[in-house]
Amino acid sequence: MSIIAQMGPLTKVDGSSLIESKQTKIICSVTGPIEPKSRQELPTQLALEIIIRPAAGVPNTREKLMEDKLRAVITPIITRYLYPRQLCQITLQILNSGESELEFAQRELATCINATLIALIDAGIALNSMCACVPIALTSKEGSDETLLIIDPSDEELKSSNSVHVLALELVDQCKTVKNVLLLDSNGDFNEKDLFNILESGEVEVLKLGKQIRHIVESKINSDITSI
Amino acid sequence: MAKDIEISNSESKFLLEALRQNYRLDGRLFDQFRDVEVTFGNEYGDVTVKMGDTRVHCRISCQISQPYEDRPFEGLFLISTENSPMAGPQFENGNNTDEDEILCARIIEKAVRRSGALDIEGLCIVAGSKCWAVRADVHFLNCDGGFIDASCIAVMAGLIHFKKPDITVHGEQVIIHPIEEREPTPLGILHIPICVTFSFFNPKETEENIKGESNEEITVIDATLKEELLRDGVLTVTLNKNREVVQVSKAGGLPMDALSLMSCCHKAYSITEKVTDQIVQAVKEDYKSRNKYSELLSSENAR
Amino acid sequence: MQPQTVVVLPGDKLPLSPSSSQSALTLGPGIYCNPQTHEIIPTQAGIAHITHPKPHRTQLYVDYDSKRYIPCVGDLVIGCIVGTQGGDSYRVSLSNFSNDVSLPYMAFPNASKKNRPTLVKGDLVYAKVASAEKELEATLECLDPGFGILEDGMVLDCPLRFARMLLFEGDDKQKKEGTSSLLRLLARHTKFEIAIGINGKIWIKCDTVSDTLACYRIVLECCKSPVSQYDSIVKRHFKEVAKVVEE
Repeated sequence: MSIIAQMGPLTKVDGSSLIESKQTKIICSVTGPIEPKSRQELPTQLALEIIIRPAAGVPNTREKLMEDKLRAVITPIITRYLYPRQLCQITLQILNSGESELEFAQRELATCINATLIALIDAGIALNSMCACVPIALTSKEGSDETLLIIDPSDEELKSSNSVHVLALELVDQCKTVKNVLLLDSNGDFNEKDLFNILESGEVEVLKLGKQIRHIVESKINSDITSI
Repeated sequence: MAKDIEISNSESKFLLEALRQNYRLDGRLFDQFRDVEVTFGNEYGDVTVKMGDTRVHCRISCQISQPYEDRPFEGLFLISTENSPMAGPQFENGNNTDEDEILCARIIEKAVRRSGALDIEGLCIVAGSKCWAVRADVHFLNCDGGFIDASCIAVMAGLIHFKKPDITVHGEQVIIHPIEEREPTPLGILHIPICVTFSFFNPKETEENIKGESNEEITVIDATLKEELLRDGVLTVTLNKNREVVQVSKAGGLPMDALSLMSCCHKAYSITEKVTDQIVQAVKEDYKSRNKYSELLSSENAR
Repeated sequence: MQPQTVVVLPGDKLPLSPSSSQSALTLGPGIYCNPQTHEIIPTQAGIAHITHPKPHRTQLYVDYDSKRYIPCVGDLVIGCIVGTQGGDSYRVSLSNFSNDVSLPYMAFPNASKKNRPTLVKGDLVYAKVASAEKELEATLECLDPGFGILEDGMVLDCPLRFARMLLFEGDDKQKKEGTSSLLRLLARHTKFEIAIGINGKIWIKCDTVSDTLACYRIVLECCKSPVSQYDSIVKRHFKEVAKVVEE
């Protein structure tokens, strides 16, 4: 999976990122730590407000579900206890979905996770570790029982697949080591062998993507230093 | 609004004093509109408009729907303008009850939808039972003032750029041809309304402004966020290239006399002309870049 | 041992030599010690500085480009009064949307129960952070001379990194050059008063509006430009404001 990313395109929020991966294009903004509303406040840690807005139409249950999954991935990697009784606002605007059927949200979810990570780094929110996320599809080869694994499937490939998956891993140590599985979200028809296969080949891809994200952030740091 | 932006006394005092001495903070002239940058995405009807730091994204989409019972020959057209904290943390998600936000939505609605900029009769497929429902979703990405002006440009550029899939009608049956199969058709645009917003500042006491003989208020076009927060009055004029005034909106604020309203309209017209040409030109260029290969593929070249 | 600088991202392993693990570690901004595992990791993306001020002593911090100010004791900040609380302190905003901090009436020079400071909502103050605990509201003080209200002038927001550079660049080179290069360039053109808040706010005041405006535009542009261009930026803006005066 390869992405084109821009760090900090927006000026009125603390951190932002714009990510393009194939047809999917998402912009993310992060503001925090700021004063929360009293209903959001958590006594010992940072509260997260996550909003995902679709390119066309009003936010629906599909977006709500994505928000929940994103929250599950992002919460463990933020050093939340550094910011008690504070709030971090994460807003994602999908500019181009890249998925024509509403039943699929794999490309959007994976891109949302990657965009949020880069925006969090840009905003200077303390993180315990990095993460990266790839969408995966399984299709059966024509005329045989063998399954074929497609990393970063396109819209067409999603539609013709047997099952679709999203894999997010927590990365530490210069993004070379996998510390934990943050999300493995699967949908469709698959068996245990397929799942292990996904974890195995997915790990290689996630590490590759982690390296790429690392490169994006490092080049931003370097360009900032030379500018002053 | 969640929490407001704090503006110190020093800032407000300085901004007004600078205006009195003919300066704007960003170095523009009083009647200078920011440069507009229109860019298109991969799909039809995907537009981003940038004016200075202000950034607005608009997405046009369409689907087949049922027309209203009392208007069987018309299609549906909806503009959605919802704020999110992306444009700035002062905006709350899903809370569009704020006065400014409602005003902004209403002005855009009036300027584009109610002025008949889109030919909604052309969206009718089968009278009374099937029509196109066109939807414009405006997303505010970065707020540095001038949301109304920028989103009007974004919606209009999106509508001009958008193409809906071609259809064939067999009695009650409608076949939609995917964009890949058949060349899609553009929407019918009847005129291009452009909003220009004027902000007024009162250099003297309020009393002087109401009772005084002469109007000394300072008029500024296309205010930035700081100017918007400190202004005493606002006027939005919507015009099109045919010299038609589509709407004049002035909700409260400093009183103004008829002559200055006229001069505002004249100033707005020259901006309208320029921006309209720019939108049309941008769409034309984008179509051209999309059709890079069509010349090679066309039958004329084959010979 | 030589000081080290290295680019780090959150969760990276820090290049600490085994011997330094026995020495006393001082953790600065951007470094976090996990209370459960006692692992020391960077939490920010930036340049990690590892220095050894004394033998058996190691200092660690990450120099990173933060956007939102988090109060730290001893920081010099510019705040905006947003109200009063309980009749004994002001509420002060250090950056938009952040938690407000408090400035007690007693934290002014010569303050007593009878002699109260007379600040109103919207006034700017230059102050020092007196206490800052993450669980508690931070407090400010204006006790030393030079602190207190900033009257008139103009305030602008800049990246925290830029404010730090303006404030500390002068410090570092004090013996050689005096103040930072940008301030010296400005001083060639006009007389000015300046207050630099480490919370990303710069207040500037000249005798005339046009000069203040020129300084305002220059600082805003210099935030985004390399040092080599400062000279031409300064010249251009002073020329621009002079033009309008003539008209």
